[in-house]
Amino acid sequence: MDFDPMAMIAALPQIGQASLTNLWIAVVATAIALVIATGITVLRALRIRVITTVLDIVVSAVRGTPILIQIFLFYYGLPTLGLDIPPLIAGFCAVAFNSSMFVSELLRGGLTGMDRGPIEAAVALALPRRVIWSQVVLPQLYLRVLPALVGEITMVVKATVLLSSITVVEALRTAQQLASANFRFLEMMLAAGILLALINLAIAFIGAVIEGRLAVRRG
Amino acid sequence: MRFDLSIIFDNWQLFANGLLTTLLIAVIALPLAFVIAIPIAFMKLSRIWPLRALAIVYIEAFRNAPFLIVLYVIFYALPTLHIRLPALVVGTGVLCLYASSYLAEIIRGAFLAVPKGQLEAARAVGMSRLQGIVQIVAPQMLSGLIPPSTNMGIILIKETSVLALISVAELTYQGMSVQAATFAAFEVFLVVGGLYWLLCATLSAIATSAEKRSARSIAGARRASVADSFLSLEPRGRK
Repeated sequence: MDFDPMAMIAALPQIGQASLTNLWIAVVATAIALVIATGITVLRALRIRVITTVLDIVVSAVRGTPILIQIFLFYYGLPTLGLDIPPLIAGFCAVAFNSSMFVSELLRGGLTGMDRGPIEAAVALALPRRVIWSQVVLPQLYLRVLPALVGEITMVVKATVLLSSITVVEALRTAQQLASANFRFLEMMLAAGILLALINLAIAFIGAVIEGRLAVRRG
Repeated sequence: MRFDLSIIFDNWQLFANGLLTTLLIAVIALPLAFVIAIPIAFMKLSRIWPLRALAIVYIEAFRNAPFLIVLYVIFYALPTLHIRLPALVVGTGVLCLYASSYLAEIIRGAFLAVPKGQLEAARAVGMSRLQGIVQIVAPQMLSGLIPPSTNMGIILIKETSVLALISVAELTYQGMSVQAATFAAFEVFLVVGGLYWLLCATLSAIATSAEKRSARSIAGARRASVADSFLSLEPRGRK
């Protein structure tokens, strides 16, 4: 069968609409991941041996296993524990959970390179720990990791297509459904690939702009 | 629900086969990806703009599109070109191309991290550009190459799981088939995940020891600073 560019172009609106699902899952999941990762970072800083060890093991396990396996664990595994959740929720949780471990490593990296002065000043003023974190450390930390965080969104966008394997209707699933009707597998996959790559290029562009702005601010 | 590991032991041969296939794919794909990545890295460093443009398109396409979709595109494109290959070969090949786009950027970064004067000095003593790169710059790139390449190796091992979706019989695929037969999703995927974790942890342990060794050899090389021995001084920074 020959390649039919018209079939590909005709499918763009429908797959484009579906790829917005990938985008919002990625953005919301990364936002939730940032919240969880902040919690992990603060817990680590408490220096309680047991908590730190457990966190290290969990982060290492999540980072050392394929996200596809984690998606399967959430989708097939949770119902056997008695939790019946729809594919979209299971997939979303898996992606957010996975991303939170990567974001926690981003925050950890950002923390080591941070300016010590303001924190020392806050400690010297005997500000409560909670205030130091929320008013001094985290605002600086978030600014520092913002470009990397935008990069993380592109990673999550790429991970969201794996949700097609647990029947979440997103760009790839839509492309597969179209292809099973018109048998234009190559054209449909190419359309989905181009659209998602464009979304990621746009996100990466936004990240570069933010990085430039921050560099100007720092002087 | 009860946690029943006997399902794993009853099907241990499937898991062992899957693990071996996963290992095989990774062991073939990573070195091959390096071989492909080297010319791409130098194309992107080239002064000839069509070469540079080609490298940028290649790298950005692979880095921005999801791997699964790239896999499907090539998987479906090959038959239209009248090329029929087993899924294992297609999957390993695409994984290799995918990894090469990341490795090209890693190699380019390591090349740029070596001070420019090194290559210029090599040219000044009469070496050709190629000689200078191979004999002078490449050895110095090594230490900057190990940590990101290890990271890439770990990403590659994890990405092999996606090949299950084009029915390559690797670890995840075997896990899916056992899960479909027994419905013991929790046990199966925890064990499969644990095996991946084991692979990744082993790789990272090997890389850490290699890194230490290369750091030691660099520290040893510093002893012979030309200026220091000329002035018969003690090596700098060593008391």
